[in-house]
Amino acid sequence: MSPSKGSGKDLDDKFIDLIGKFVSDIKNGKLRGSNNIALSMVTLLETIISDSQNATAYELCTAVRAAGRRVAAALPHELVASNVTRRILRAVRDENRAHANQVNQTVEGSGESLQRLVLAAGARRATLGAAQHDLREPLRDHIAELRGELESSVSSVCGQAKEHVHGDEVILTYGASALAEKFLRAAPRTYKLILAEGPETAESHAMAHRLSTAGISVTVVSSASIYAVMSRVNKVVISVSAALGGGAVLAAAGLSAVTQAARHYSVPVLALAPLYKLCPVHATDASYFNALAPPHSALPYERHECASDNVHVYAPMYDFAPPDHITLFITNLGGSSPSYMYRLLSELYDPNDYNL
Amino acid sequence: MEIDKENVVQAVVIMDTFNDHFNPISKCKPMSLLPVAGVPLINYILESLAHGGVGEVILFCCQDGPTIKDYIRKSIENKAIWSVTMDVQVMMSDSCQTMGDVMREIDAAGLVRGYFILAGVNTITNINFGALLEQHKQLCKKDKGAAMTLVYKKVAWEHPLIGSDKPIFLAADANTNKVLMHHKYKPKSTEKSISLPLEVVLNHSEVKLHHNLADANIALCSPSVPPLFSDNFDFQTRDDFVHGILINEEILASSLYYTLLKGNQYAAAVTNWKTYQTVCRDVLHNWAYPLSFETGSTEQNNYLFMGNHIFREKSSTLSRSCSLIEDVLIGSQTHINDNTVVSKSVIGKNCVIGNNVTITGSHIMNNVVIKDNCKVLNSFIDEQCTIGENSVIENGTIIASNVVVDAGSQLKGTLLESSEVDKEKSLMKSTSECTEWENESSGSGGDDFIGFEKSWSSSESCYSSDGSDESSLPDSPVPEDTNIFLQEVIDSLARGYEEKLKNDYLILEINSSRYAYNIQLHEVNFFVVRALLSMPVLAENKNVLNTVKDILKYFRPVLSNYIKTKSSIMDCLRAVEDSCIKCEWLDGKSGQVLHLLYEADVVDEDSLIEWHKDLEENESPIANQTSLVKFFDWLEEASEESDDSD
Repeated sequence: MSPSKGSGKDLDDKFIDLIGKFVSDIKNGKLRGSNNIALSMVTLLETIISDSQNATAYELCTAVRAAGRRVAAALPHELVASNVTRRILRAVRDENRAHANQVNQTVEGSGESLQRLVLAAGARRATLGAAQHDLREPLRDHIAELRGELESSVSSVCGQAKEHVHGDEVILTYGASALAEKFLRAAPRTYKLILAEGPETAESHAMAHRLSTAGISVTVVSSASIYAVMSRVNKVVISVSAALGGGAVLAAAGLSAVTQAARHYSVPVLALAPLYKLCPVHATDASYFNALAPPHSALPYERHECASDNVHVYAPMYDFAPPDHITLFITNLGGSSPSYMYRLLSELYDPNDYNL
Repeated sequence: MEIDKENVVQAVVIMDTFNDHFNPISKCKPMSLLPVAGVPLINYILESLAHGGVGEVILFCCQDGPTIKDYIRKSIENKAIWSVTMDVQVMMSDSCQTMGDVMREIDAAGLVRGYFILAGVNTITNINFGALLEQHKQLCKKDKGAAMTLVYKKVAWEHPLIGSDKPIFLAADANTNKVLMHHKYKPKSTEKSISLPLEVVLNHSEVKLHHNLADANIALCSPSVPPLFSDNFDFQTRDDFVHGILINEEILASSLYYTLLKGNQYAAAVTNWKTYQTVCRDVLHNWAYPLSFETGSTEQNNYLFMGNHIFREKSSTLSRSCSLIEDVLIGSQTHINDNTVVSKSVIGKNCVIGNNVTITGSHIMNNVVIKDNCKVLNSFIDEQCTIGENSVIENGTIIASNVVVDAGSQLKGTLLESSEVDKEKSLMKSTSECTEWENESSGSGGDDFIGFEKSWSSSESCYSSDGSDESSLPDSPVPEDTNIFLQEVIDSLARGYEEKLKNDYLILEINSSRYAYNIQLHEVNFFVVRALLSMPVLAENKNVLNTVKDILKYFRPVLSNYIKTKSSIMDCLRAVEDSCIKCEWLDGKSGQVLHLLYEADVVDEDSLIEWHKDLEENESPIANQTSLVKFFDWLEEASEESDDSD
């Protein structure tokens, strides 16, 4: 999925400055949380689209794609930004096609049917050259819709909490996550929560504290004892960094141990994945699975082990959980099984944009 | 950005280190462009400042200003990430020789508006500068005199960052983090004990002692810092400043604080080859995240991670039979041939490494060619070098750019640079010089040990150099502070006498040297008189006494400034004694000199008599000199006379 080289030429200087601002905001920590990043990315791309001089489908696609590539190159681990770019590209393509359809309006069959989609597959892959008209106006609606979806995604995921978490159940969650916290708050408060410490211990403790003040019975366990407590757990709820194409997930380091234990005890695992976390990345892409985080959480720098030249401290950034460890993805559209993820992907993104 | 200019966090980065620890590499390119793990140092500091929320940076260059300016301009054109949020300004001044000069220049130009961050270009860190500066501002609200907060990273005592640099001992108030004592050990010193003043413990309920701090060359400064440097022109380095503030806390009405970095923050300074090596390793091991070996480029993820902290650029090519052991970074377009073994090394871009080469613990810059069957151990090879077949390069050999090493060379702990005079890429061997240096520095107690990691090279013959400010040429004995002080006083007095300078200036000069060398007041009295009597004019002149008279007359204000009290008069007389013994031109003339002093009202009778008694008790060699005996006879008579007349 690595972006191809040489994309700077396609963009105006003012856009490059905007992108630089966006990237440095994320790097400085001014912009945190995948949802916020996704929303700012939409705003950024909206500016690029509305300020483009030439608003044909081809021009817009090029500009948006170049911006997406640039962000992806600077921030390879913010997968959300790339996903949003793909969504907008899809919108441009759809709008272009709709317009093309309008132009050569045929009498029979208005609206899209499954049969039409299949037959039109060739046309869908066609180049964007032909139509020469302004797409900005219709795209504005698409972008507003996308923004609305992003804004409501957390609440719509959390809205499903009642269906999955019931009274007197024992729920296990791993590490600190804003989404998981909201989800657990939205559920009826009679369940018992076991919170396993993630790599950021202090944040896990803070989350446990907030939940317990909200009236949920919380037990914090160390990540080493996950296997021991798993037999008593009814459901595992986790928030993921990215839901991958094959139904696997990328999540905070250490998650693999949780899902393995859950699998062994046949405990259902619910992965909270709003649609913007769906990535057309497949489990063969090593760059995400090998990424290293700073090792401070694994071994403090003060320790005398670090003084030696022969010590290697590894702290992986992500953990990978295969599709068969996940029971259900909870997206804003409802629950879907891992084997259905590929279908969602092709609904959300155009296959041409899988590689930005 | 213009609107809230008041709130913009300012940082001053000093682009020179004012030492020659990185010779000969630092001779041909500025320190800021020295690559650490393939990235020039300046990129690290700029990116970390941008991450830390700094809005305006002043880069202060004392050398190679245009090169740096050019580099900054190019980076801005390439839309480096930091250029978006940060305003970078390059200041140049060739006249600055020390950090103190830089601060004085900054004060004179009024470059800083308020609180600011002071960092060196050799700093690599991922701390949040903005938050730390805010912390310092809060502290200043409590203590108006807080001048500076020093930033330290706690590391293990065995850590090479401590061991190879000058370790620090720090005593501080545990409640306020106010620094009470700051002591820098000499490297490899054999000091077994350290004395902690009693009042440090008595005046504070709780005192923290730190001995395991790594100095990252970062300080958070109040607006009062540049004026303090201007007022005290003997402050040459930050250590002088720290020392000066701690000694004269009441006079300067300033105090120092320190802060320790939290667990997940990394900070280190590249001060010599050994710390260079350590910092490179830490960068490879991702301790400085988000700074990495891809810092400064807008495109990330161009390196493939191959386990064991081995990274290679996607466009590099490795032979199937070569093996990379651990901690290796390979730049783009580099090719490594068959059966080559690389471990704990950084290899730059466009390099070609031949067959059967062994590279361990070395740093190889861009465009280097290493031919077959070479061995490169614990060495540094700069850009565009070619190493011939079957060469062995080991033990901290440092090769500057554009050097061609002949096939079959054996180099151990050598410095090589191409001589630019004849514009040919020839060799300048400096092996002999190097060993000399080594002997010299080990003889004088080893001021700075800056070779590569000892444990990696089996022998201790690392490149070491004497880089401290007051060190003299290798062939002269290292003078003690007091001797230097005496020499300086003599120099300034002689100059004053020749050029007929105002005595006030001379007093100021003497006082500043006094602080620079940390001389006690009674010693100053002693040395001033001693200097007066050892001025070079005296040695050349035939009529010594007349000249002494002249000198005393001319320097009367200086003398009266120092020689006021009884004890200072005794210091003065002791100096006369010392001079009469040591200076041949005063041989046998002690009585006359004393007479002149007596006439000039510098010394009084009682002290003279007391001193005379001391002389006789101690059996001083001048006690029985005829001139002296005569003088005291005369003195007794005179006093009797005056008694009679009463």
